[in-house]
Amino acid sequence: MTDEVVDVLIIGAGASGAAVAWSLAETKMQILCLEQGGWMDPSEYASTKRDWEVLQGTDFAISPNFRDRAADYPINDDESPIAVANFNAVGGSTILYSAHFPRMHPSDFKVRSLDGVADDWPIDYQTLEPFFAENDRNIGVSGLAGDPAYPYHEPPLPPVPLGLMGETMGRGFNKLGWHWWPSDTAIITEPYEGREQCVNLGPCNAGCAKGAKSSADITYWPIALRQGVALKTDCRVREITVDEHDMATGAIYFDADGVEHHQRAEVVIMACNGVGTPRLLLNSTSPNFPNGLANRSGLVGKNLMFHPWGHVGGVFDQPLASHFGPQGSCMLSQEFYETDPNRDFVRGYNMQITRGGGPVSTARNGVAQGKIPWGIGHHEAFDKHYDRAINLGLCCEDLPEEHNAVTLDPELTDSNGIPAPKVTYTLSENSRKMLDHGLEKGTEVMKAAGAWDIQTHAPMRMAGWHLLGTARMGKDASRSVVNEWGRSHDVRNLFIVDGSVFVTSGGVNPTTTIQAVALYIADSMKRNLENLFD
Amino acid sequence: MSSDDIIGSDATLNSDQQRTFVAILDMIIPASDDGRFPSAADMDVLGYIAKTDHQLLDTVRNELDRLNAVSEDLYGVAFGDAGETHRQGLLDGIRGAEPQFLGGLALQTVTLYYQDDRVMEAIGMEARPPFPKGFEVVAGDLSLLDPVRARGQIYRDVED
Repeated sequence: MTDEVVDVLIIGAGASGAAVAWSLAETKMQILCLEQGGWMDPSEYASTKRDWEVLQGTDFAISPNFRDRAADYPINDDESPIAVANFNAVGGSTILYSAHFPRMHPSDFKVRSLDGVADDWPIDYQTLEPFFAENDRNIGVSGLAGDPAYPYHEPPLPPVPLGLMGETMGRGFNKLGWHWWPSDTAIITEPYEGREQCVNLGPCNAGCAKGAKSSADITYWPIALRQGVALKTDCRVREITVDEHDMATGAIYFDADGVEHHQRAEVVIMACNGVGTPRLLLNSTSPNFPNGLANRSGLVGKNLMFHPWGHVGGVFDQPLASHFGPQGSCMLSQEFYETDPNRDFVRGYNMQITRGGGPVSTARNGVAQGKIPWGIGHHEAFDKHYDRAINLGLCCEDLPEEHNAVTLDPELTDSNGIPAPKVTYTLSENSRKMLDHGLEKGTEVMKAAGAWDIQTHAPMRMAGWHLLGTARMGKDASRSVVNEWGRSHDVRNLFIVDGSVFVTSGGVNPTTTIQAVALYIADSMKRNLENLFD
Repeated sequence: MSSDDIIGSDATLNSDQQRTFVAILDMIIPASDDGRFPSAADMDVLGYIAKTDHQLLDTVRNELDRLNAVSEDLYGVAFGDAGETHRQGLLDGIRGAEPQFLGGLALQTVTLYYQDDRVMEAIGMEARPPFPKGFEVVAGDLSLLDPVRARGQIYRDVED
């Protein structure tokens, strides 16, 4: 079945696809987005249920392989110490993200110049700064201006509450003389654009029933739809089509009934992030592109970057009400973010202070680790752990290495028979040393804050939230997949706007940068409409 | 199905298994001395496992059978009918050598236990989902940031 031709076809309705759709809507071009998932029903989110902690690990599990919703596709991550996390729905992985929203640093775009590793981006922080700010305003970001770890910027809303746990950690950081700051957070702390403010439900990363978390389905999409953008849900794209002149002609997709369509388009925009985008490009073979679309460089799928993640957990004497409030957002420390030549690794990491577990997770973890015993001592031990825990995540910069890659699995397929992605990844020596350093420093600050019990672990397997680098941006067509404004070097009407285009990963949660890049690319497209394909 | 089979959702235990199951639950989480916390044996753990982790049922049955067999050998009665000291010694012996023995049952037990209304009340929580009421969280003292501000810029300047 061949569908009517549209001006712009966006594949994926997550963080970047939504931002691009919103930005391009003002052009009045005919824009269509295809999304393999559907709209989420907030009344079904975990926080509306008594068994909300259980649902976090089942219906709202971060791994599609465990979650196995109809919209999900399997991912073979057996050859990776880090498992891929994502979500497939309108809003994409922002449905489950913690909304921790630190920007990348100016230095993150110049790692070759500054540290002699990887490559510089073809754009810089200053180029993206207006788009960071625009994104903050569009979706509603909270935070506190004046963080000395960043060029000055003003989040539009006041920060999420530190709580007793944040104060406790702040005092610990102060004892050591280390940086810390309330996190920039994509959660509204005051009524904003018709949405009600956060009421500290807790499990943001199983969907926000309140609508206070700024996921793409409730921020960009309602506006884009009102402005005329069309969005088709439950439509799974199999491949991007291309003509003999190396121009994309549209996409072949399956609708909810499994009927195959060919959606034709003048421009195709990929917005499926660092695993989904290379998967589709590699599955789009043709005589002119036998190794996958836009892949004459051979770099589609290569240079996959996660953020290797470490965990330091502390338990304190005093009750901290630590499992109330936005679970993944409280404060951060960037004391060890920038390269220090005195360390045995380059680049650095962000410390993300997150809240403690609820009763079920406290009990399950305590029993599994032998810290909360069976029998008569159970109640006393539970009381010593519950409501007194603080977690510290280490988000380590991952440098690009070509052997870390997304390919197509030769056997595994999704429910439409489309080859599943296979992830092959090895933790680098630099990352291992960075994680070791972070565990040591995380332990140090937990002790300074007064923790009596400290656990450490790295790398965390279920932590592949950030999927970057597999269709990198650059000016040299032999060393990159897209140019400095997201256009494929090989296919002049094909754009990529998601985390795939990252040249390096920085050491922070990437969504704010992904959306800023997407808005920047959309702005570049609008400014170049007259000669978009030249 | 014999008349003394116990039905929990679609899960069944024979009578020996059932007495041992109750004894084990009470050993995982006994009632507190002050009466605030119930015993895990007061809850429908079997029905919960049948609903949430059905594959675990066979493992649990096998583990209960093993406990009963060892207890029969040592004390001439099923585990659930043995004295408290014997039960504890037997369980400690097996779990000392095999820490994962009954581990799946323990995890599902605490998972159900800490969703129970009586337990929620005992730990100071209202028995409700987080939404819609939410929770109060203190804003926190932002003057704690004064030394961070005083230290000044820590990010690297980048030359164009």
